[in-house]
Amino acid sequence: MDFKDYYAVLGVSESASPEEIKKAYRKLARKYHPDVSKEEDADAKFKDVGEAYEVLKDPEKRAEYDQLRKYGARGDGSFEPPPGWQSASGFGGGGYTEADASQFSDFFEEIFGGGRRAGGFSGAGFGGFRQDTRSRGEDVHARLALFLEEAYHGCEKQVQFTVHEVDDHGRIVARPKTLKVKIPAGMRDGQHIRLKGQGAPGIGGGDNGDLFIEVELAPHPMFTVEGRDLLLTVPIAPWEAALGASVTVPVVGGKVNLKVPKGSNSGRKLRLKGKGLPGKHPGDQIVVLQVVMPEQHSEEAEKLYQQLAEAEQHFNPRSKLHV
Amino acid sequence: MTTRDTIITVELDDPAGTFTLREICERGECHAEFVIKLVSYGVISPVNDTPDTGDWAFDLQALARLRKAQRLQRDLKINLPGLAMSLDLLDEVRDMRREVDRLNRLLAHFIAD
Repeated sequence: MDFKDYYAVLGVSESASPEEIKKAYRKLARKYHPDVSKEEDADAKFKDVGEAYEVLKDPEKRAEYDQLRKYGARGDGSFEPPPGWQSASGFGGGGYTEADASQFSDFFEEIFGGGRRAGGFSGAGFGGFRQDTRSRGEDVHARLALFLEEAYHGCEKQVQFTVHEVDDHGRIVARPKTLKVKIPAGMRDGQHIRLKGQGAPGIGGGDNGDLFIEVELAPHPMFTVEGRDLLLTVPIAPWEAALGASVTVPVVGGKVNLKVPKGSNSGRKLRLKGKGLPGKHPGDQIVVLQVVMPEQHSEEAEKLYQQLAEAEQHFNPRSKLHV
Repeated sequence: MTTRDTIITVELDDPAGTFTLREICERGECHAEFVIKLVSYGVISPVNDTPDTGDWAFDLQALARLRKAQRLQRDLKINLPGLAMSLDLLDEVRDMRREVDRLNRLLAHFIAD
């Protein structure tokens, strides 16, 4: 078990006042809140910050922690409480921690343990864990990242999550659970799906909770997803733009021929009906044209451009700039 | 450690996939007054906009948003008007991040060429 330096977690000194601790906690809670932060380990950092605050905001727990801190970690960073250690303050819950206490570290559990018993919580998060009554199990929320191709065609994915349940001793334990889920074709970014009865088990014959999965689409190197529509930038040659052409463009899982209208400009959008994400109302693929020049021109091409310049000398591409 | 492997087939657009006011309160473990206030602040909306709260039906997105609102309120101690504004701004930030990402990739095409 590693020693946790709660002062370092909150970025405050050992002598920090309760007000300084509260201020540091509030700032870090805003920074690392999983609903706000985009940092990869925001969830873990948020839990650390909450755990540190839970201890340091309480004078009794803080005094006990300070005592242990002096006792110190071993050379390798690991920590064992002194023989016979027992917290006088215990875990009473309070503040934000009522909901997430079961996710505190082993270090916290070892020092202030005893807070994970069923029935000990009345907070919002674990209303389902009361042994003496029949109640519905906790709903579980998870996220699932999909590649665009997987969302388009449908796929089978493994979803791992944790359910909290009450063991034979009446303690709330976290149990990892794995499900293979068949994802149907056409899932959109941010879409939620519900798997009935796959959450935490009910208590006393109550119904199981549900598993809610929020789908996240990973960025694709070519396509951008907007709702059900797929955007694709397609480069075309200047003569294709001028004269019109039939060009081959990729779609998810294949390719199609697209007719580029004569006189197309960069940025022109062409719609491939029904080639977006499938569904009851399938999306479209929107092709954005981008005129590109060859890196080098042959002498013959340069002569042709010269002729073109003479033939089109009245065209001012910068007319909107008033020059 | 127990691991169970089960194949679950997900059904989309299931008409039973909506919640009444009572059900969403059970799921969110909150009072109806809180949900009604969230609706009045525009934080969540029933799929059928009727004045009778007994007829309200909420979809999964609304439940997810309710949970998010609860987490923010609980963890950051935000009041209702602040909550409504925070969620709107978070939505805006998310949309803008996506747009920046899209434009960056579009720009990469032009720079590469």
